[in-house]
Amino acid sequence: MPENNLLEMKQIEIQFPGVKALDKVDFSLRAGEIHSLLGENGAGKSTLIKCLTGVNRKDAGTITLEGKEIQPQSPQNAMELGISTVYQEVNLCPNLTVAENIFVGRQPMRRGQIDWRTINRRAKELMARFHLDIDVSRPLSYYSTAIQQMVAIARAVDVQAKILILDEPTSSLDDNEVQLLFDVMNELKAEGMGIIFITHFLDQVFAVSDRLTILRNGHLVGTFGIHDITKVELVTQMVGKDMDTIFNLKRASVAPDAPYMLTAKHIGAPGQVDDISITLKKGELIGFAGLLGSGRTETAEMLFGANRFTSGEMELDGKKAEVKKPYDALMQGMAFCPEDRKRDGIIGDLSIRENIALAVQARRGFLHPLSVKEQNKLADKYIQALGIATPDAEKKIGELSGGNQQKVILARWMATDPKVLILDEPTRGIDIGAKAEIQRLMLEMCGDGVSVIFISSELDEIIRCSNRVIVMRDREKVAELDGDTCTQEKILSIIAEGSAAAGGEA
Amino acid sequence: MKKKFDFSVLARSKVTWAVVAEALILLVCLFVRPDFFSISYQPTTEMLYGNLIDIVNRSSEITIIAMGMTLVIALGGTDLSVGALVAVSGAIALKFLRWDVTIYNTPGDYTVYPFILVLVVPLAVCTLMGLFNGFLIAKADIQPIIATLILMVCGRGIAQILTNGKQFTTQYSPFRVIGQGSFLFLPMPIIITAIVVAAVALFVRKTAFGTFVEAVGINRKAARLSGINAQLIIFIVYALTGFLSGISGMIYSSRIMSNDSNNAGLNFEMDAILAVVIGGTSMTGGKFSLLGTVLGSIIIRTIVNLVYYFGIASEATMAFKAVIIAVVIVLQSEPVRNYFAKHSKARQNLVSGGARG
Amino acid sequence: MNKKQYAGRQSLMSRILNPKFIMVYATIGLFLLIYLFGALAYGDKGFTTLRTFMNLFVDNAYYGISAVGMTMVLITGGIDLSVGAVASLTGMFIAYGTSVLGLHPLICIAFSLVVGVGLGLLMGWVIHYLNVPPFITTLTGMFLARGVCSLISRESIEIKHEMIDALAGWKVNFMQLKDGQWVKVKPTAYFNFNVLLFIVVLLVGMYLLQRTRFGRNIYAIGGNEQSAKLMGLPVGRTKVLVYGFNGLCSVLAGVAYALYVKSGWNLSLQGAELDVITCAVIGGTLLSGGVGYMIGTLFGVLLKSIIPALITFNGNLLSWWGKIATGLLLLLFIMIQKLVVSTSGKKKAEAKG
Repeated sequence: MPENNLLEMKQIEIQFPGVKALDKVDFSLRAGEIHSLLGENGAGKSTLIKCLTGVNRKDAGTITLEGKEIQPQSPQNAMELGISTVYQEVNLCPNLTVAENIFVGRQPMRRGQIDWRTINRRAKELMARFHLDIDVSRPLSYYSTAIQQMVAIARAVDVQAKILILDEPTSSLDDNEVQLLFDVMNELKAEGMGIIFITHFLDQVFAVSDRLTILRNGHLVGTFGIHDITKVELVTQMVGKDMDTIFNLKRASVAPDAPYMLTAKHIGAPGQVDDISITLKKGELIGFAGLLGSGRTETAEMLFGANRFTSGEMELDGKKAEVKKPYDALMQGMAFCPEDRKRDGIIGDLSIRENIALAVQARRGFLHPLSVKEQNKLADKYIQALGIATPDAEKKIGELSGGNQQKVILARWMATDPKVLILDEPTRGIDIGAKAEIQRLMLEMCGDGVSVIFISSELDEIIRCSNRVIVMRDREKVAELDGDTCTQEKILSIIAEGSAAAGGEA
Repeated sequence: MKKKFDFSVLARSKVTWAVVAEALILLVCLFVRPDFFSISYQPTTEMLYGNLIDIVNRSSEITIIAMGMTLVIALGGTDLSVGALVAVSGAIALKFLRWDVTIYNTPGDYTVYPFILVLVVPLAVCTLMGLFNGFLIAKADIQPIIATLILMVCGRGIAQILTNGKQFTTQYSPFRVIGQGSFLFLPMPIIITAIVVAAVALFVRKTAFGTFVEAVGINRKAARLSGINAQLIIFIVYALTGFLSGISGMIYSSRIMSNDSNNAGLNFEMDAILAVVIGGTSMTGGKFSLLGTVLGSIIIRTIVNLVYYFGIASEATMAFKAVIIAVVIVLQSEPVRNYFAKHSKARQNLVSGGARG
Repeated sequence: MNKKQYAGRQSLMSRILNPKFIMVYATIGLFLLIYLFGALAYGDKGFTTLRTFMNLFVDNAYYGISAVGMTMVLITGGIDLSVGAVASLTGMFIAYGTSVLGLHPLICIAFSLVVGVGLGLLMGWVIHYLNVPPFITTLTGMFLARGVCSLISRESIEIKHEMIDALAGWKVNFMQLKDGQWVKVKPTAYFNFNVLLFIVVLLVGMYLLQRTRFGRNIYAIGGNEQSAKLMGLPVGRTKVLVYGFNGLCSVLAGVAYALYVKSGWNLSLQGAELDVITCAVIGGTLLSGGVGYMIGTLFGVLLKSIIPALITFNGNLLSWWGKIATGLLLLLFIMIQKLVVSTSGKKKAEAKG
């Protein structure tokens, strides 16, 4: 019933340069409801939230809160309207005490002074409501992320919020902590607050929400009651399958007697992943499937030396490999496109040419420079081969679109003629045409004898490209499937249920 | 079709303002005192004299240090210790310029240690001190400003202890050449500066070092993930800055033929940082311009000379320096540059729109 | 993780043992240690007398006053290099105003306050709204103040005014009861106007930092400026006011220095800004912002001033060892800070793992 809706977002459209981030999306939230918002990366979840919290401006559509149309201008403004947000990274001050983080900027005063006693007392009461009996006079940084998250929620709740947005609050919590959070959410819900809950963990969605809304590529897939949809249906809806129609790709063919290029035996590090074993043949492509936070990125970073593994060992091309830092990995013929392209991949203010030549140059050492001519040759070659859309090689990489940035990073590594290439979500957040091209490039490289590890959240591309699929869940390898016989359903059920029995042959 | 020149690029470029500033200052001189520009030849010393020569000559110490400082700032750091290292370098040089007091009792053209030690030891010590800075910053991961504050505070103390708190003088002529000699009719410091600037420019631009410095300064993590050894780059840059401070210290002490641990290199770190910033390199790191830095250093010295020339108290130059620097910095600041860029673009659009209409 | 693990009563003990005070304790501990060393080595020469201790205050009050403002600036994550020059300028205003222009010192001080606070506010505005790094902005401010100083006079000007003489001469001797009579302690120990001013400024600083929203916003900005903005705190206004307050402290430090040396000189207090920063840092203030306490700064000032005192008592050492010792102190403190940060980080990881 629409008149019951606390919040109503209608026909929201947001246009970013070159891409429509949201296209006629509807969303509604009732008072006393927990509503999950789902979708893979780049689906538009965070854009929708940012539109609600005043970070992004919408280009079309209306937002109504309690029947009145609102135009949130800034996070501050949204907060005043009663929309509080708790982000994945805790947006508090680590140096202030727990109590202070809850009250800073609106401290109770007494005789012109901050009334510390009241602050500490009220903070303690508030935390008690969250079933936490902690010393609120200690600095926030003293406590675990879980507690920091709770403090953030306490602050958000205490400002008389009508709507609470929780943006992936559980990604760093353990089961007990998650349960604690759910208890709090249910209490707030009982008090009539509307909660928007964003998470990648499907179990949690089913455990706590009343309704869920799925977005994909900026479009609304649908809103469902929690009992009207199964887990497998949900994942299928999230992941979609609009790729098949565009490109017809063939998996790499690996000779049965092809040598092993990379063998990792029982590698792991505390707090990251446990006991991962992988073999990879020359010219083979293995896919890493699993949701965000399943340990796939950690594994990749460990193989490349970005994080050191503390147990286990690794062989590259038949020789024992010591990989302590990325430089070592580079020198031994490995390459790695990181997951967060903007933060860890591009050097924003450098030109495309410099970005492409960077890894080759790092391998040669700075005393053996590539001449500008050689760099230009390299850049031109890859701009053409990968179809990087740019007027010239001197444009700053930061000014390119996501897909083109990704191609430049790919070019950086292709230029080093790697033996093993690790690609972490290379197709995330880029448009379908560019996705298909990157997949084609990947398979071409396999044909040239490069071994590839391919990490993706999109199962159909994993299945289409991989010779073997490794399924990760909860920081462990739970199954290894053959590329020819594995199906989306099989992987989905392993991810959803966590049982390797469904198809494990590892 | 000819490519139209986009003026908004110029407005956004930081070096532009440095050039404009220097040009304006010189223009003021030209109108007020044209003789400011006169250059004469002095046959006795085989040197050219004149304000313009003097500006470049006197800016040498700062320019040399600022070459290293540019790289330090491009890495997103600062080096506060350079001034103190200038004092250390001078103190050591003069220590090695001792002569046998049992033979001579006044300073003269003599020394007991071989001259090569006078040249090598100060530079080696300063390089080591630079490495110490690099160690604190790269390995111990300490903020550059505080890591270099340590040597800034105790560097002068070390220089004083080395010379037992005394001020030595010398008349040793090979040493005099460094700061007061001439070559090709030009004062020696200009020649040394030219060599240093050329060497640093070749080192950073003809090898991939400059690109690596920029990469680390812009995005240290991405640079590391691309296989760049960021720690090594940081080490080299701070060691180089230490080395260059050493050279600067030699020139300084050769000019006065003495060590002055109290005043040698006083505020050099400030001037060097200013030269870099006026030259258009951002304090947040990233792209740098060595040419801009040379210009920045010359601007600073031009202001000083100009003020001298008009007979204003030498210490008061700081006020004029401050005013001009304030103008340059405000013009370079992000909001102002964006404002200019937007408006020049808007005007362009207006013009082209009008032409079409 | 179960709920029990979070349990912990907020007792007096836990408040005292709060990890946020570790650096302050380190400063106090080190000061006591050095003091003990001095007492053992030079006790017979009178190191332990009240006079020696009070002289630490009397001779360094102007550093202390400036350090109060500097601590606030550093907590926001900024830096102010102009303090020495502004203090020197104040001295020059007073000297020139009273001795050359014949003005009343109070007028000179009032004028200094307007200039000093105005410059501070202006620098704060440039730093926040024009996004110019604090280092460069305040460096320019330093050049400006120093330059104006020299424009006024290049000679040292003696300050001759009865009010200044009265203020500088005012002191309260410590008394003790001896044979039923109050007599001055021997050797005489006293506190003067400067010490009083330092204590007052320090208390005001403490009050602002701990008891007002303004003070807490300073900490929040230093902890995470982005978060502070998202929490709706007045970031810009707070930063501008902090630099303004620091300007006020610089002027007061200049007044104290003028009373101390009774003259104004354009080159006085050169490099004082670094001594002041050093005081704050060895007092436990983090240059990266967010952490710092006035009580730590107080002991930072004492710690820094006890070194020259020791060297004087030794009599054989060059005074330059003081600089080296200060540098080593800095190094020591940075290392302790690194250690504290990394161990507390480890604790957290363990709690999570």
